[in-house]
Amino acid sequence: MVDSKQQWKAWIYLAPAIVLLLVFTVWPIINTVIMAFQNDYNAMAAVGGQTFTIGIENFKRAVEYRNFLTCLKNTALLCVITVPASTLLALLISAALNSIGPLKKALTTVFFLPYVTNSIAIGMVFAAMFNMVRTVRVVQTAGIINNVIMFFGGEPINWINAGSTYWANMTVMIIYIIWNALPFKILILLGGMQSINKQYYDAAKVDGSSRSRILWRITVPLLSPMIAYVVITGFIGGFKEYTSIVGVFGETMGPVSDKGRLNTMVGYIYDTLPRSDYGRASAAALILFGIILVVTLINLWVSKKRVHY
Amino acid sequence: MKKLLALFLAVVMVLSLAACSSGNNDATPAASTPQSGSTAATQPADPKGTTATYDGSKVTIRFYHTMGSNLKAVLDTYIEEFNKIYPNITVETTTIGSYDDVRNQIGTEIPVGNQPNIAYCYPDHVAMYNLAGAVQTLDEFINSTSTVQRADGTTEILGLTAEQKADFIEGYYKEGQQFGDGLMYTLPFSKSTEVLYYNKTFFEANNLSVPTTWEELEAVAKKILEIDSNPECVPLGYDSEANWFITLCEQYDSPYTSAVGDHFLFDNETNRNFVKMLHDWYQDGLLTTQGLLGGYTSNIFKEQKSYMSIGSSAGATYQRPDPAADGQYPFEVGIATIPQVDPANPKVISQGPSVCIFKKDNEQEVLASWLFVKYLTTSVDFQAEFSMASGYVPVLKSVAENEEYAKFLASADGGKYISALSAKICLEQKDYYYTSPAFNGSSEARSQVGAILTKCMPDTSSDIEAVIADAFKEAVEECQYQAR
Amino acid sequence: MASVTMKEQDMRSVTARSRAGSVLAKGMTYLFLMVMALIVLFPFYWMINSSLKTLAEYRLSVPTFWPKTVIWSNYAEAFTTARLGQLFLNTLLVGVVSTLLSLVITVLSAFAFARLEFKGKNVMFGALLATMMIPGELFTITNYRTVNDFGWLNTYTVLIVPFLVSVCYIYLLRQNFLQIPNELYLAAKVDGTSDFKYLWTVMIPLSLPTLISITILKMMGAWNSYIWPRLVANDAAHQMVTNGLRNAFKDAAGDQTNYPVQMAAVALVSFPLFLVYIFLRKYIMKGVSRSGIKG
Repeated sequence: MVDSKQQWKAWIYLAPAIVLLLVFTVWPIINTVIMAFQNDYNAMAAVGGQTFTIGIENFKRAVEYRNFLTCLKNTALLCVITVPASTLLALLISAALNSIGPLKKALTTVFFLPYVTNSIAIGMVFAAMFNMVRTVRVVQTAGIINNVIMFFGGEPINWINAGSTYWANMTVMIIYIIWNALPFKILILLGGMQSINKQYYDAAKVDGSSRSRILWRITVPLLSPMIAYVVITGFIGGFKEYTSIVGVFGETMGPVSDKGRLNTMVGYIYDTLPRSDYGRASAAALILFGIILVVTLINLWVSKKRVHY
Repeated sequence: MKKLLALFLAVVMVLSLAACSSGNNDATPAASTPQSGSTAATQPADPKGTTATYDGSKVTIRFYHTMGSNLKAVLDTYIEEFNKIYPNITVETTTIGSYDDVRNQIGTEIPVGNQPNIAYCYPDHVAMYNLAGAVQTLDEFINSTSTVQRADGTTEILGLTAEQKADFIEGYYKEGQQFGDGLMYTLPFSKSTEVLYYNKTFFEANNLSVPTTWEELEAVAKKILEIDSNPECVPLGYDSEANWFITLCEQYDSPYTSAVGDHFLFDNETNRNFVKMLHDWYQDGLLTTQGLLGGYTSNIFKEQKSYMSIGSSAGATYQRPDPAADGQYPFEVGIATIPQVDPANPKVISQGPSVCIFKKDNEQEVLASWLFVKYLTTSVDFQAEFSMASGYVPVLKSVAENEEYAKFLASADGGKYISALSAKICLEQKDYYYTSPAFNGSSEARSQVGAILTKCMPDTSSDIEAVIADAFKEAVEECQYQAR
Repeated sequence: MASVTMKEQDMRSVTARSRAGSVLAKGMTYLFLMVMALIVLFPFYWMINSSLKTLAEYRLSVPTFWPKTVIWSNYAEAFTTARLGQLFLNTLLVGVVSTLLSLVITVLSAFAFARLEFKGKNVMFGALLATMMIPGELFTITNYRTVNDFGWLNTYTVLIVPFLVSVCYIYLLRQNFLQIPNELYLAAKVDGTSDFKYLWTVMIPLSLPTLISITILKMMGAWNSYIWPRLVANDAAHQMVTNGLRNAFKDAAGDQTNYPVQMAAVALVSFPLFLVYIFLRKYIMKGVSRSGIKG
C-alpha cells in the first residue's frame, strides 16, 4: 500500500510546515517542559544566576492551590456547555442561510460583520448589557437585559455585580462565549455546505423531503467532517478560555465580591506572569495539555465512528 | 484504537525530545547572564559616587513609556533641548500600551539582554526586574562629583547637587528606596495622588464643612442623607478600594506589607476593625466604591447623586459636571485633602510613574541614560510643561515658582480650570505622601486587599466579624501562595 | 446514503398541506435569521456608536444607544493622529504575504495528510494536533529568544514567518480534502497527471470555499495581532495597525485611552477588510457546482 515514492513526496510536502513548527512551536514546548520540571523556576531569577533543582515541585504546587479545582471546574463547565450549543446554533444558522433565496447575499454579509468588529467593542457590549449600577438602597440602572426581563414582568437579576450568584455569572459567560464563537463556526460550516454537491439536494427535493429531514439526513452527514472539526477545535480552544472572562469581569475574574470565582486554567497561568514564575505556569500548562489530550482523544474516537468522509 | 495509540506515541515523542535536551538546559540561561565585572552596571553600589563620567561618545538610548501623542510631543521638545547640550546622545522613545504592557515587554527582553535603557515603572515591576539584577542602582550616580563636559563648553557634575536633591518632593523621592535594601532604584517622573472632590455649591448652600477626618466624614454623610431624600443619593464615592485599604493602614499606622521577611502583615485587628467600620457605613448607605457601584463613582458625582468623590488627582476633569448649553457648570467643584485618622499626621497615597535605568554592558550608555533621566526629572521647565499637559503633578517643589506654572496654578477654579485646582491641592499636601514597600508580589497584595473590601462591605450576614476574619485569612493565603 | 431514500408514507404526505407549511417554514427561517443577525450585529453597531461619542459620554454608567452629539471629528482625529497610512501599508504587506505563504504551506501539508500514504502519518498528525493543546502564552519568551538569535528583530520577516503554519487550518483543509473521492486522484495518477496539476485543477477548485475562509481568518489574524508585533517590531517603520492604534489615542490627561477615537480608527481600518470580503463573497457563495465531491 505504502509505496516509497509517496513516502519521500509526503515528507517534502510537509517539510515547510515541519521546519517552522519545530522552530516556533516544538522548541517552545520543549522549553515549557524544561521549565516545568525545575522546582520554583523563575525566568527573571534564572537570568540573575539562580539555579533550580530538578523535580516535580511545580506540579505539586499547582495541584495544591486551593482554587485549582475551581479553575478546573469553570474551564470544564464552560467547555461542555458552550461547544455543543454554539455548534448547533451555527449549524442552524448556516443551514438557514444556505436554504433561502432572496436576501441571501445581504444576510451572509451581516453574519460576516463580527469579523471586522474590534474585540474591545465586543467585551464592552456585554459589560454594558448586563451591568447593574446600584447602591445599597436602590438600583440606579438595571441594564438592558434586565429592562427586557422587567418588561415581561420578571424580576431583575444581578448578573455580574457584587453579590451575584455563581450561576448568574456562568449564564452571562455562556451566552458571551457562544456569541463569540458563532461567526467562526458559521464561516466554516457555511463554507462546508457550499462544497456539498447540489445533486443531493435536488434528489431530496424530488423526493419531497421536509426541511428538517434534509438538514439531519443529508446536510449533517455530508458536513460531518467540518462539524467534527469545529467541535474538536472548539474543545481545544474552549479549555483555553480566559480572555472572554476578562472581557466581562476584568482582571478580578469574577464579581468584585468574589475575586477569582470564575478563574480558569489559563487564568491561573496568567496570574503567575507578573512575577515571572514560569515554572509553575509551565506545570499548569502541561496539566492542561494532558486534560485536553484526553478530551481530544475521546472526540477523535467518537468522530471516527460518526464522520463520513 | 490505532489513532489513540498514534497520539500517545506522538506525546511520548515530544516528551522524550524534551528529556534529551534538558541535560544542557542549564547552559542556556547562563549564557545570557550579563558578564559580571565587565560593566559599571554590576559593580556594587557605591554610596560615595562613581568616578566614571560620560565622555561625550556617541550612544543611543531607548526609553519605554506609556505617553499618548500629546505628551510625547512635550517629551520630544525636551529631547531636542537635551540634545543641544549632549548632541551625541540619541534618545529613541517608544510608546508601549499600558504599564503592565511595559512590564511584560521588558520581562521578555531581559533574558536576552534586549531591555531598554530607561523605562516607566511601578515599584513592583522594578522588584521583578531586580530578580534578574537588571536594574541599575542610582546612588553611585546621585552621589558622584565627576564633571561632565557639555557641548556648549560648560560643565555639570554627574550627580545631583544638594539643591537638586532637596528640590524633589521627599515622599516621591523616597519611593525609589522602597525595595528593602535602602538603595535607590528609581526616580519619580510625574505623580498623582488621591484627593477629595466635593460639590462646593451644595456644601455652601447647606452650610456643611469639608470633612478632614473620617469621623467628620461620617457625620457629614449622615447629614447629606437627611438633606437629600432621593433614594439614589449616596454621599461619598471612593474610586479605588485597594487605595482606600492601603491608605487607611498608613493613617492608622498599622502594618500592611514589608519588603523583607514576612511580606504580608495586613491581617491584624486594626485593619479588621476599619473594614468593619466601612462595612457598616456602606450598609447605612453612606458610601460606595467603583466596584460595588458597577460604574465610575465620578459619574454619580457629576449627576449630583453623590456629593463627595475620592479619586485620582489626575482625573479632575472627569469629576467636573458637563456644562450646560450656556457654558455654565451646574455646580462648582471643590477639592481638598482626603479625610484622615489623625489630621496632625496626614497621609495620602503617591501614584504615577517613576523611571528606572537598566544595566548595560556599555558603561557610557548607562551614564548617558542617567544624564537624560536627571535632565527630565530635575528640569523645572519640563516638569512644569509636562504636568500642565498631563494633569499629573510635578515632582519638584520649585516648579510652583515657574512662571508658566504659577500662572496655571493661579487660574485654579472649580470649573474650567479644575486641573489647576487639583494640582494646587496636591502641591499643598507635598509632605503627606507615603509609599508602600515594593517586592515581587506586592501587586498581588494590593489586589487582594481591594478584594477584601469589595467582599466584606456588601455582605449582609449576621456574623460579619467572621466573614471579615475569613476574608483576611484567605487574602493572606492567596498572597503567600502567589508570591512564593 | 441510505438516509436519502424515503418511505412511501412520507412521499404521499407532500401535498397542499405541506405547501402552506413550507411558506410558514420559510417565514420562520427568515425570522430566525433576522433575530440572530441582530444579535450577532450588536457589537458592530456598538463599535460605530462608541466611535461617535465624546469620551465623557463613553464613560457614562448608563450607556446611550446613540451619541447625544455625534462627533464625526473622531474619525478625522483617528486618521491624522495615528499615521494610519503607514500603519495600513505595513499591515497590508504583512497580511498579504503571510496569507499567501500560509496558504501554500497549508495546502501542501493538508494534501500530504489527506492523499498520500506514508509511515508515521497518524503519529505526525496526532503530534500536530497536540501542539494546539498547550496554551501558547508560554511560547513567547522562547520565541523571542529565537528570533533575537536569528537577528530578525524589527524586520518584516519576524512579523510573517513565525506564525505561517497554523495547525488549525491544516486540519480544516485536510477535512475538506478528505471529502474529495480518492478515485479522482487514482484516475489522475493513471493518466500521468502530476500531483501539482491535480492539486491545482481538482482539489483547490473543489475546496475553494474553505480556502477563502482560511484567507479571511488569516488576514484578520494579521489585522488583529497585537502582542507579538509589539514585542518584536515596534519601531516606526514596521509598526502595524493594532499597535499604532493602541498607542496613539490617549486623552488629554495622558493616561486614559481615548476609546471613542480608538473605535473610530478601528472602524476605519476594518473597512478595507470589509471590501475584501465583499469581493471574495462572490466566490464563497458560488460554491462548487461542479460534480466530483462526494458525501
